[in-house]
Amino acid sequence: MPLFKKIGAAALAAGMAVSCLTLPAFADEAYYGYNYNWWNEPVPSQNGYVVDRVVTGVDLGIGTLSEPNDMFVDNATGDIYLVDTNNARIVITDENLNSAKVLDTFTYTDEFPEEKSIVKNTKLDTPKGIFVTHNGGETLLYIADSMNSRVLACYADGRIFFEYTRPSNDLYDADISFRPDKVVVDNAFNVYVVIPSITNGMVQFSREGAFNGYYGANRVETTAEVLQNAFYSLFMNREQMRKRARAVAIEIANCDIDDQGFIYTVTSSKNADKDVLKKLNPAGENIYLNMGIDQFMFGDLPLYYGGTSYASTIDDVDVDSEGNVFLLDFSEKRIFQYSDQLDLEFIFGGEGSQKGLFTSPTAIENLNGKVYVTDGRKNTITTFKLTEFGEMVHGAVEMFNRGLYQEAKEPFEEIILRDSNYWFAYIGLGNAYYTMGENEKAMDYFYMNSRGGYNRAFKEYRMDMIREYFNIFMIVVLILIVVLVVLSKVGKMIKKKKRAAAGGDGNAV
Amino acid sequence: MRFDLDMPAWKWPFYVARHPFEGFEDVRWKKAYNSKVALVIVLCFFIVTVAARLMTGFVFQMNFEKVFNVVPLFSSSVIIFFIWVVGNWSLCTLFNGEGKMQQVMCVTAYALVPYIISQVVYIFASNILTRQEGTILSFISGLGLVWSAVLVISAMKAVHQYTMPKTILAIIFTLVAMVIIILVLILLISLFQQIVMFVYSVYTELMYRFNMS
Repeated sequence: MPLFKKIGAAALAAGMAVSCLTLPAFADEAYYGYNYNWWNEPVPSQNGYVVDRVVTGVDLGIGTLSEPNDMFVDNATGDIYLVDTNNARIVITDENLNSAKVLDTFTYTDEFPEEKSIVKNTKLDTPKGIFVTHNGGETLLYIADSMNSRVLACYADGRIFFEYTRPSNDLYDADISFRPDKVVVDNAFNVYVVIPSITNGMVQFSREGAFNGYYGANRVETTAEVLQNAFYSLFMNREQMRKRARAVAIEIANCDIDDQGFIYTVTSSKNADKDVLKKLNPAGENIYLNMGIDQFMFGDLPLYYGGTSYASTIDDVDVDSEGNVFLLDFSEKRIFQYSDQLDLEFIFGGEGSQKGLFTSPTAIENLNGKVYVTDGRKNTITTFKLTEFGEMVHGAVEMFNRGLYQEAKEPFEEIILRDSNYWFAYIGLGNAYYTMGENEKAMDYFYMNSRGGYNRAFKEYRMDMIREYFNIFMIVVLILIVVLVVLSKVGKMIKKKKRAAAGGDGNAV
Repeated sequence: MRFDLDMPAWKWPFYVARHPFEGFEDVRWKKAYNSKVALVIVLCFFIVTVAARLMTGFVFQMNFEKVFNVVPLFSSSVIIFFIWVVGNWSLCTLFNGEGKMQQVMCVTAYALVPYIISQVVYIFASNILTRQEGTILSFISGLGLVWSAVLVISAMKAVHQYTMPKTILAIIFTLVAMVIIILVLILLISLFQQIVMFVYSVYTELMYRFNMS
């Protein structure tokens, strides 16, 4: 008995020691890593991103920030442009957030003299968005100067070269104000402006400032209201219908452009269940639809909230050079990182005041694996960096998406070793074994992980089985046929005999 | 009249499946209502429902649940079957139907045989077919369903001695009656639950009182 007690005590002590060792690893982050499995359940997972630094305006040496609303990271130079909304200024800092330069006064030059301007204001008023691009050696800034009703285009030193203002064209609805919220510029220097009150899409300007029309409108949600309107329109006249509330598409909340020139848009409405994230080609068509992604759930899934119907408020989108998509969810203050095939890779952030949590996240950007998030209430910039696990997943998924399934096998095995909940790794391994021709193993990995993958592996597996056992199979079938024929003949003979006997009895009666 | 109708009771369900229009008239003429056979068929129906949930191939299994629970499957097969029998009998008795409850039960069970067989084939086939060949599967299950539906109509027509329009009408009203029965059942169950809870809470209250003194 004492021996047992001793062993028991030793085991207990060892267990406690081990738990003490592992606990700090959890306590490091203010948020728990989790991911979703095949049942769309949230399961604990390893963190792919951890907090690197939290930087305030004072740290940058430019005084407190006030409700920073947007941010832009210039991939070419590594400069970060921050829109300090309530201070009406642009803060330009470097990649490591060490030094800062303030841009708050702009000058009219010969290129765009003050007489040509409608606004005639050298200061900003509640700037909401910024976009930076290069033309030759010049850095071009496009600032969505919201309350001045213009998109200000200037060089890095503040010389204005154009103002995009409210189109006087008849195409633009006369009732709608022009309050630019976000701005994006494509490779041909067309300017796309997100305006919160416009449901037709983004306002598109040519380089010379001509209004080109709307770009990338969302579809109208099929709600009960649409059906009701359709019903009423059967017997109401046009005048009456005009008085009814029209069902309109949900407006675009934010946008981003990737290296190939595809524009991404998000809607932040909670009751939108389509077009939450779109990837638009130059014609304004959503190419995610071609990938078979129509009603995809972005952000947290309903089971996270115990099955209550819930939709995230996706407020900002960012795409990195590898095509990874970052979505910023305003309602849960989380960042969701998807691969370019929209497989959810990591979830990080959360609500709170600790490092790495947010109270009002407004914008997300990334550069070289670092993620920058601004908080409009804490007035900070939080930077996240990839963990070793995160780098591993990124590498493996990138190989996977390039079709190098076999090469991705080892990284995926390592990922499962570190986090057996990581769903995508099983699909990766299944594909690896499938390409290697080990179909049975592939089926094991695909089971309860990927129906399509299982189907493919099973098809091959079945083919192998048929090839291997065809002779035996045919022999069995032939024997069965012979046996059945013989049995039926024998049965018929017996029946005949019986009937003859019965008939004899019948005659007798 | 056929002369080869003297067959064992277990052969009748297969006979009516092969003779959907005359079969049930023959059942009625021969009084071949066998409750034991009918109950065995209902049991098979239940087993097939469970098997469809547990053994359908992964590619075709669309409603996967993490925790298997047999109660909903039981109520969606056996209990629905008996509610149908009770509903149909109580309705058709009021509308000059000739069938007794035992007879209604037997013919309905006999009519289920094609569906059960198609489900068995479905479960086997779903384990050897791929998604591309899924049309075969939907054909199998559709065939079984339609065949059984035709048999049910024919069975109701024969057992109550109705005309065709009256049969269809009776079936529609039976479905309505089933809904009402289910509603009342749920109501009753929740009521009894509350009574039980009440009695139980009175009991615990009393026990506390006695223990305290």
